[in-house]
Amino acid sequence: MSSIIIDTSASRGVTELLRFLLESGKIDAAITMRNDPENNTYDLGLITDASNLDEAVPLIPVMTVNAGQALSSISISRKKIAVVLKPCELRAFVELVKREKGSLENLLTISYTCGGVFPLDTVITEQIEELLPKYKKIILNGEIPVNTRDTCRTCEHFIPMNADITVSVIGECKPGAGCVMYLNTEKAEDFAEDFAGERSDRKFDPSALKKTLDARLAEKEKLFASITKDGPGLDRLLDTFGKCVGCHGCSSVCPICYCLLCDFESANFDYNLPYFEEHLSRKGALRLPPDTIFFHLGRLTHMSFSCVGCGMCSDVCPVDIPVAAVFKKTGEKTAALFDYLPGRDVEESIPVMVYKEEEFPDIG
Amino acid sequence: MKKEFTPRITSFLCKWCSYTGADLAGTARLQYPTSIIPIQVMCSSRVDPVFLIKAFLSGSDGVLIGGCHPGDCHYETGNYHARRRFAIVMGVFDSLGLESQRLKLSWISASEGPKFARVANEYTEEIMALGENPTRKSIFL
Amino acid sequence: MTKQPAKESKKSVLVLGAGIAGIQASLDLAEMGVEVHLIEDTPTIGGRMPQLDKTFPTNDCSMCILAPKMSECVRHPLITLHIMSSLKEISGTPGNFICRVTERAKYVDPVKCVACGLCEEKCPVKIEDEFDMGLRKTKAISRYFLQSIPSEYTINKDHCLYLTKGVCKLCEKVCPTGAINYEDTDREIDLNVGAVILATGIDPFDPIGFGQFGYHRYSNVVTSLEFERMLSASGPFGGHVERASDGEAPKRLAFIQCVGSRDEGIDRNYCSSACCMFAIKQSIIAKEHSKELEASIFYMDIRAFGKDFDKYYDKAENQYGVQFKRSKIADITELPDGNLELKYTYENGDIQHEIFDMVVLSIGLQPRQESRRLAEDLDIRLNRFGFCHSDTFHPLKTSREGVFVCGAMNNPKDIPESVISASGAVANAVRLLDLDRHDVSVGESASVEKDVIGERPRVGVFVCHCGINIAGVVDVKNVAEFANGLENVEHSEDVMYACSTDCLETIKQRIEEHGLNRVVVAACTPRTHEPLFRDTISEAGLNPYLFEMANIRDQCSWAHMNEPEMATEKSRDLVEMGVSKARGLVPLARLPIDIDPEALVIGGGLAGMTAALSIADAGHDVYLIEREGVLGGNMRDIFFSFDDTDPQQFLKQTIERVENHDRISVFLNSRIEEIAGYVGNFRTMFVNGAGDREELTHGAVIVATGGTEHETSEYLCGSSSRVVTQKEFERMLHEGKFPAGKLKEVVMVQCVGSREEGRMYCSRICCSKAVKNALELRKKKSRANIYFAYRDIRTYGFAEEYYSELRDRGALFFRYTLENKPQVEKIRPDDPDSRIRVTVFDPVLEKDVVIDADLLVLATAIDAPEDNINLAKMLKIPLNSDGLFLEAHVKLRPVDFATEGIFVCGLAHSPKDMSESLAQAKAAGSRALTFLKKNSILAEGTIAEVRTDRCTGCGYCEEVCAYAAIEVDASEGVAVINDALCKGCGACVASCRCGALDLRGFTNEQLFSVFNSLEMETSEGL
Repeated sequence: MSSIIIDTSASRGVTELLRFLLESGKIDAAITMRNDPENNTYDLGLITDASNLDEAVPLIPVMTVNAGQALSSISISRKKIAVVLKPCELRAFVELVKREKGSLENLLTISYTCGGVFPLDTVITEQIEELLPKYKKIILNGEIPVNTRDTCRTCEHFIPMNADITVSVIGECKPGAGCVMYLNTEKAEDFAEDFAGERSDRKFDPSALKKTLDARLAEKEKLFASITKDGPGLDRLLDTFGKCVGCHGCSSVCPICYCLLCDFESANFDYNLPYFEEHLSRKGALRLPPDTIFFHLGRLTHMSFSCVGCGMCSDVCPVDIPVAAVFKKTGEKTAALFDYLPGRDVEESIPVMVYKEEEFPDIG
Repeated sequence: MKKEFTPRITSFLCKWCSYTGADLAGTARLQYPTSIIPIQVMCSSRVDPVFLIKAFLSGSDGVLIGGCHPGDCHYETGNYHARRRFAIVMGVFDSLGLESQRLKLSWISASEGPKFARVANEYTEEIMALGENPTRKSIFL
Repeated sequence: MTKQPAKESKKSVLVLGAGIAGIQASLDLAEMGVEVHLIEDTPTIGGRMPQLDKTFPTNDCSMCILAPKMSECVRHPLITLHIMSSLKEISGTPGNFICRVTERAKYVDPVKCVACGLCEEKCPVKIEDEFDMGLRKTKAISRYFLQSIPSEYTINKDHCLYLTKGVCKLCEKVCPTGAINYEDTDREIDLNVGAVILATGIDPFDPIGFGQFGYHRYSNVVTSLEFERMLSASGPFGGHVERASDGEAPKRLAFIQCVGSRDEGIDRNYCSSACCMFAIKQSIIAKEHSKELEASIFYMDIRAFGKDFDKYYDKAENQYGVQFKRSKIADITELPDGNLELKYTYENGDIQHEIFDMVVLSIGLQPRQESRRLAEDLDIRLNRFGFCHSDTFHPLKTSREGVFVCGAMNNPKDIPESVISASGAVANAVRLLDLDRHDVSVGESASVEKDVIGERPRVGVFVCHCGINIAGVVDVKNVAEFANGLENVEHSEDVMYACSTDCLETIKQRIEEHGLNRVVVAACTPRTHEPLFRDTISEAGLNPYLFEMANIRDQCSWAHMNEPEMATEKSRDLVEMGVSKARGLVPLARLPIDIDPEALVIGGGLAGMTAALSIADAGHDVYLIEREGVLGGNMRDIFFSFDDTDPQQFLKQTIERVENHDRISVFLNSRIEEIAGYVGNFRTMFVNGAGDREELTHGAVIVATGGTEHETSEYLCGSSSRVVTQKEFERMLHEGKFPAGKLKEVVMVQCVGSREEGRMYCSRICCSKAVKNALELRKKKSRANIYFAYRDIRTYGFAEEYYSELRDRGALFFRYTLENKPQVEKIRPDDPDSRIRVTVFDPVLEKDVVIDADLLVLATAIDAPEDNINLAKMLKIPLNSDGLFLEAHVKLRPVDFATEGIFVCGLAHSPKDMSESLAQAKAAGSRALTFLKKNSILAEGTIAEVRTDRCTGCGYCEEVCAYAAIEVDASEGVAVINDALCKGCGACVASCRCGALDLRGFTNEQLFSVFNSLEMETSEGL
């Protein structure tokens, strides 16, 4: 598999590739982050007309929606689509594909070595453009920008897994070094055929990102320690999730929570009068709405092993519960039980769908 | 007045093995504490992980799943799935520092009346040592 | 003497013996609509299996797998059970037999007995417990074992004080229901049946007085069956193995194989077939009980010839560290401390002494003691060992027409073989009957079902005293009063015996009086009594699923006898939980699924043809699809059998019968493209011999795709005219043409491709086949020297005799190991016709032996056809790691698949000989007929359901379902459940994240309400 080097910024290089693909008719649509200058916001755009690519900012460190989630329903159409995703978004999408919630067949996936994204409130309150130069400098230096999402600062999977095209953004892509795109698959080769740019057989070298990795792992330890700093147990759980208002925003932005109606919002937990009476007669008090802690524990068992740590949940939480950090920590634990890594491989079975005859000798 | 602590262990027993084993313990008049509250299910794989959580949060001092031994499942593979799901809940509990000892899965066959009684006795003791589930006291759960 | 009213003999069968074979035969027959009289000598059904702790090679708990079959058998409306009965005489003609049966007195009225056990407690007479091999005591009034079915007590008249000496009557005094009847007498009855199936099983060899092993002289020498009871959790020592001498747990265990088997000296020159695996299993289980235990197995050959047996053997040796010692035991001496010193000889003559704590004698299987008398009474022939006689091509027939045999009665068998032969014998019996297709209905509910939907729950609670079984511990009145105060409880009362006829009437009355629409009975266990109460409320017009049981006896009063207050409190909880669940119960229906009467058989070898004939003879159309241009499969290459019956003659007759049968359509040169559908409703697309696509619809599928001979280049196979396979050799013997003019030196190499990396299984038949062919060579007056290079000679069953004969007639046997295989080379390397120089290590003389062979005959392995995988995908059925079709359960469902309506037989299942293929093919036919004989079957009431509005079609459920009963519909994007296939386990429900699935009868809401209702007061009283 080859690579392409273009003498331009990484962001512009990707935009040009999308433009080429659209104009040559190789794709029917492109999905990329866009700048909406009129409203001074960013969004994820589905673009079919190449002229609309002028606003594209494919590598902007902003995630308004997990693109994997957004892609889920679109990807099933027969249209050929090129999509620029952050590595965690691609992983989320792979998890969805495993659950019949999308298809990689007609997609060209372009991803990049990710420096992390800014939380949504930063996006709203600050001029991202002003933050960008410093951000770029920090990430190119293998360091961690302080004001990015918790889960981004602690993310060790910033190199895309199984993207068709990997764009080098952090680490080796020094200013002026041009935009380097690695074509990882036959599909990428086919699509990028005839696209201008210097070809080489340069291979992606993850070792250049060792510094970033080490920094993030160190940061992760700090984060995990911080969420349990007041000791474990039920009290801690209450401290963490006690302020939950039960809006279920976390699950609605979660790419892995694909259910039409969350089980925890279903009739199973739609309590009738006898339940309240019984509960009250027992404890004398009941929190309303009930089951907030239950909801989080339940969600952890349902999907933590597939959590890609994108951080959307923490961003939308109105009461600043570190949902993403908790999910990331627990998720790493539950996934590790099965040597599972969410989004690594579309062929890797979801742990709860399969089993081994001999495992967990300590259980039972 | 302070009552003596009586643990409550919500016990999901699969119809074909563990429930039968529990019956056999009774038939053989093997004695174990009243803490074990049996709930019959068709298969250990019927036990949704959220049952464990719900039972835990509503004050069960222990939650027990009894299933056929691996390979013995009346429904071919149900207990393998049950085991994975149980492992996940344990993982969640451990990572949050919740008392995962309050959850237990045990393989008890239809002929293992003595094992059922033993598990009932030992697990009750274990729970007694842990004390009352703090969720019983916590009104805001 | 009472006379049974003459039933239609053509619709009924007598089965003698209620072990696993008898139970299986009875169930199969009953499911076909046949009335069955099941005659059993002991007071319980179950036979030998309940005595077993675990079963090989899966370590399945024996009772766990058997108990559901036992209950099914005893509850089946078409099966009449005659316990403590024997068959005295058969008169009449096939299709119209009169069987005279003696039912012995039980002295306890089974209708009145509630199995409370008070009588046994009080009975002063202790006798040896037969079930526990005398390892503990039982009473003169007892149950055969704790989980006996039927559960009622019986009196042993030889030991009862009153019946022998006229004093005592204690049991009568304590019996709360007046069930004791000392006046009971033996009865004779005549049964009119169309056919008889004998399944009286085997006895274990009794080693008392059997020379050097010191059984009964040395206290720590036990038989394998005694050891099995020791291992059993429900056994006399609760699963703790103890030495009789000092109660210590043994650390060094020796198993001695072939005690009472393979022994010409005592006229038992046959292999008991099961003991090697039995010992391996026991060594594994014993090691699981105690990690530091050391186990050694002393053996001649390890006969792990069954499906997945060799892997189990390997596991014992390499994972569990069981020592396998190929040697002969010379002597056992008991030491003063009770230990046992074994003196044994290795094959090279080395003599060893070793001390063990306990010795287990792996006793063989022998004909039942009473089989001689039975044979005389019934006029059937026995073979020279006393087993029932049958021949190669009629393995399930006795010498008397219309009387069939199954189980180990005609040769030693393990459990799956017994089950197979039972279903197979049924296929034979059915030929003599006249059966129509029938409808299946749920119970005999006379009244029309009340519509309760929309009604407020009105729950009735009945709390049973069970004499003093419950009321002696639990304050029953208190519990009943408590129930009265529960939400929605309309009526509550305590009753003496909920299951008594009077009380059942009371329940019906109360339903009427109080307009009850849900019923909770707090009594014993739903396992035994739920069906009875469901029938009862059904008779009162309620849907049977509007019933819930609270187990306050088996899991409460009996288990908490010393804590009456706590037990009462727990009973209240259990009743409250029951009421909570009952509130949410809804009526469930068992929907009928129509069954197409035709069957598809895939594969036209011996197995496929036999299965087809079994079904066609029972009056059903069969489509037989064969890939090749001729019928016969592998059997076309078989020319000899041990008992001198002619395979080719039999094959010819079979093919003729198939081709001329007006109910069988044969499609040769045909290839299946697609099979869709489910039990009763399959649709198959195939391309026929002319190249046209055709479609068939049918109700069942039989997979009989056979096996193929392993192709190898090992041992110069394929590059020398002097190297042939056993199959080729057999044809040469038949045609009398050999590559060499005269055979002087013939070498046979066994296990070519079998039992080694890539094919970790024994091909089962090669040892017997090689022995057969070698003997055939002898019969041709050849004076050739015959040499065998083998690993273990596995001439199991009666083939052992032929192995001895061959040894007697001068064949030489050299055992080789995988590390030291025989070496072969051509004497003239460039000549394809050169003689072959074989070098094989002789472990007896401990040196190489060189033979210049005129002919080298290879026993090549049997492979699973590669194409199996495609068929497996089409039918959604599994293969094992060797590519063989994987049955639903290796022990008790050996011809079924987990997916209903599909069956397997012959080599497609695993390597086996002609008799075994025939038996299994008949079994597959029988099993298919249990469906095909019904117009429709009823789906389970307790099955999963999908709420499509919530389903996202993620496919978790499809993956976890073991029965292929749930599938995501690709176009709709939602899961769809096939009611016909769903078994109601709920694995899918608990896998569903979206709450889109639920299990009827065990819904999430119901289960949540059950444990939400549990009272969880805090001790500190908030």
